[in-house]
Amino acid sequence: MSERTHKILQAAILFGLSAFLFYKILSGTLYFYINARFTWLVVLGGAVFLALAFFAWPRKSASDAHDHDHDDHGHAHSRSAWPLAILCIPLALGFLVPSRPLDSSALDTRGLTTNALMSIGGQTAVQLDQPSDQRNVLDWVRAFNFAADPVIYEGEPADVIGFVYQDPRLPEGQFLVGRFAVSCCAADAFAIGMIVQSDEAHHWAANQWVHVNGKVQVSHLDGVAVPLIVAESIKEVSIPPQPYLFP
Amino acid sequence: MKRVFNTLSIVGLAVLGVALVLFLQNWMGGGIELPSQFYTFTTIFLGIFIEAAPFLLLGTLASGLVEVFFKKESIQRIMPRNRFLGALAGGLLGFVFPVCECGVVPLTRRLFRKGMGPAMGVAFLMASPVLNPIVILSTYAAYGWGPVLWLRVALSLAIAVATGLIFAVEEQPARLLRPSSLSLAPIRGASVDVALPIYPGSLGSRLRRALSIAGEEFFEMGRYLIIGSMLAAALQAVVPQGTLLALGSGPLLSVLVMMLLAVLLSICSTVDAFVSLAFVGTFTTGSVLSFLVLGPMVDIKNILLYLQVFRRRTVLYMVILPVLMVILATVFINLNLGI
Repeated sequence: MSERTHKILQAAILFGLSAFLFYKILSGTLYFYINARFTWLVVLGGAVFLALAFFAWPRKSASDAHDHDHDDHGHAHSRSAWPLAILCIPLALGFLVPSRPLDSSALDTRGLTTNALMSIGGQTAVQLDQPSDQRNVLDWVRAFNFAADPVIYEGEPADVIGFVYQDPRLPEGQFLVGRFAVSCCAADAFAIGMIVQSDEAHHWAANQWVHVNGKVQVSHLDGVAVPLIVAESIKEVSIPPQPYLFP
Repeated sequence: MKRVFNTLSIVGLAVLGVALVLFLQNWMGGGIELPSQFYTFTTIFLGIFIEAAPFLLLGTLASGLVEVFFKKESIQRIMPRNRFLGALAGGLLGFVFPVCECGVVPLTRRLFRKGMGPAMGVAFLMASPVLNPIVILSTYAAYGWGPVLWLRVALSLAIAVATGLIFAVEEQPARLLRPSSLSLAPIRGASVDVALPIYPGSLGSRLRRALSIAGEEFFEMGRYLIIGSMLAAALQAVVPQGTLLALGSGPLLSVLVMMLLAVLLSICSTVDAFVSLAFVGTFTTGSVLSFLVLGPMVDIKNILLYLQVFRRRTVLYMVILPVLMVILATVFINLNLGI
């Protein structure tokens, strides 16, 4: 590949990477991949890619004069096409594969944790000081982790959103409403969940996002106290704009 | 090596093909459904890439700026003569250049080119992903002022300095590094540097030069980041973590399991403290520490990035030495310190 073609392709890929990051931000699917706290970093990355694309474009100007006396140095290995092909992989997967957040099928390898410690320190007490019907799945699991005896939560109203996970450990009439908690990116996602008790539990297909209303009780899963919702209503909902919870 | 890359580009083309087919069938409203693992893989891979790419970019920018603004002599003048002090200074350099584990690799290579010795360079590479203000703060946020925080900092520094000192046996950095890592003309046009130790010209043209170096370096390093994140994502999509975690709770086995997890997950050091909290109740403190100390030094994407800078033999030692030292230190903690 000639030097000029190579440079043009490089500039095109850098531009593509910038477009990819901004596309993810603008289409609202960025949060399928990372914690919203890092949005600024992605904006910065997109801007830097754009700047690099601009400066990578080959130019015939005086400042590039020393490019010429270098042509006979023979950097053949770095001018081959494969590095460029590899840089196209995130572009291909990012633009062509439909964006999907992690769902219950990822649970096959990740499992579901009942331990959602977010800090060894005591600052969580403040976070838990919120009306019970505004707690999300993570708040509930945390509340149960930190309570000396979670019985204090029995009877409180719960109002949560999550995806359906038919956990094989559960008896008939129960399923889990799960969420992934992501601290940085999808690679560190861990699943958490609450048990939902309902006569129609088996009607719900895995991965369906649902809105569950009901009253909380204490149940046990693998010897750990976990929140159970006695469902008063279960409604089908679409994937929320932020499918993950950010601890 | 070249053959490996050819294979990899075929893999790349295959991925591209699958993606294109998916796109077309989705666009035409077709109904082929790929295994869900493929979507899990894609989401995790893009997650790591989106998160790590800006950090790698910052590292290459820092490298470009060092190239055009630092004289070779000035770096050599500041660098301590004594090897131990050199390694120690390298281990603490993260406070000057707060780069994390992706960005540190291009920057270290640039510093080698500017004449930094092996002990200092290796210590910097291994320590700075932990010994920098951002990571110490995030560890503090997760664990508070406790043994985990200071043991993480102390162990990372000690292991990085020790690894650096072992490499100091080699007087010639050239024998540790890939030949291309040391040449002063890594990029077209840079051969001018042989005559002029620092890039000449106005501030504007220097900055332009720094940006074009950063771009070239992103291509060099970016492909390793991509391959590494693909490997990590693929393993995460197929290897059940539960069976891995069920393996070990003993003082030694728990350490081995958590180290393996750190290598497989390839999480950025800025957030791994939060991730490790999930294991605190069920795993020994030593094993959580092994996760926090080893992860930033050795993980799948790091190893691939190291291969771009160092000879394969060197990389082998750079993996084995920290692994052994982490095992020794954290198993000792498990057995002797009741924390």
